[in-house]
Amino acid sequence: MSEPIRDNGFTNEVLGWKAWLPTVDLNSATPEQIAVLEESHPQAKTSDYYLTLAHHPDILRQRSQAFNAIMYAPGGLSRAERELASTVVSCVNRCVYCASVHAQRFEQLAKRNDVIREVFADPATAGTNAREKAIVRFAIDLTLAPASIDASHIKALREQGLDDGQVLDLIHAISIFAWANRLMLNLGEPVFPAD
Amino acid sequence: MSLNASHPLDTVPGTEPDVLDGLLGIQPGSTLHTVRHARDKVASATQGSQDLFFAPELPGNLSLTERLWVAYYAAHLTPHPRLAAHYLAQLHAQGVDALSVASVDSGSLDELSDPRLRGILEFTRTLIESPVHGDQAAVQALHNVGLGTEEIVVLAQLVAFMSYQVRLAAGLGALLSAGEA
Repeated sequence: MSEPIRDNGFTNEVLGWKAWLPTVDLNSATPEQIAVLEESHPQAKTSDYYLTLAHHPDILRQRSQAFNAIMYAPGGLSRAERELASTVVSCVNRCVYCASVHAQRFEQLAKRNDVIREVFADPATAGTNAREKAIVRFAIDLTLAPASIDASHIKALREQGLDDGQVLDLIHAISIFAWANRLMLNLGEPVFPAD
Repeated sequence: MSLNASHPLDTVPGTEPDVLDGLLGIQPGSTLHTVRHARDKVASATQGSQDLFFAPELPGNLSLTERLWVAYYAAHLTPHPRLAAHYLAQLHAQGVDALSVASVDSGSLDELSDPRLRGILEFTRTLIESPVHGDQAAVQALHNVGLGTEEIVVLAQLVAFMSYQVRLAAGLGALLSAGEA
């Protein structure tokens, strides 16, 4: 990563996360809890977040399947654009931890962070071109005002060249961060590296 | 609890009829149905989550009525009228009283006689309206009305799932009304 970006409480530096509730103890975890952790994320067994969610392994399994299919499936909307949408949603919801993770993923995929700098400064005006602006705008609107979403929002995305499969991928990426941000915000807190 | 033939106890995630397709009228064979089910892992995990959150019993955890209250209130606050009506119909099937529904509809949660349900719905409102305010004190408030760790994890997952479901439903509804490109 190039120089760190810090703005409005957001950062693209690597953060930790600590749970507020007791986490599942691996030594006394059930085989099902271990299996779900292993299929959820490569580092899940050392992550407070996954060890909190493992209290109910069936629900965690469905969440992980949805999350991984939305963020990593091939084809459709580019993975960088999915990560951009996730970063925007995380900033709008003020989830500093998720914003950091997905800002890093965007940069890894897109090999640039200009739009991340803009999103951290002000999502409402972010986007380095018309297509990015349309994606960012839709991420804000679906996050803050889901009841207002109508055909005009879809047309604005189609005008920027998104086909309906890509629009669906975008809807999924925005919606799954309504889910992810809340878990990260409401079950624990980010841990900042010592300066 | 009542056994309901359409919701057997041994529900396998992803095998129930798709709730969003049904509620939104996304017909099999339609263009949008084809687009949505090209991402079938997402659709099946969405429905699989639905099946788990609203299973008749969640051993040692929130009752079905409590979970339906959370879902109804989340959809009502968003608002997503069709999802709200879906969950309200199921609440009525559980025998909830009209007075409680009126209190929840008007946001007068202090009128609810059950402090546990009041705490659950206050947490729901915070997470739906302003998730950044769902802090450690909000979690402690749940402990104070008697929720254990596993119940809090399921509640947080359920409200977060509802936040996802209402947006997915809104997006799919907009795609449906936009028609074919």
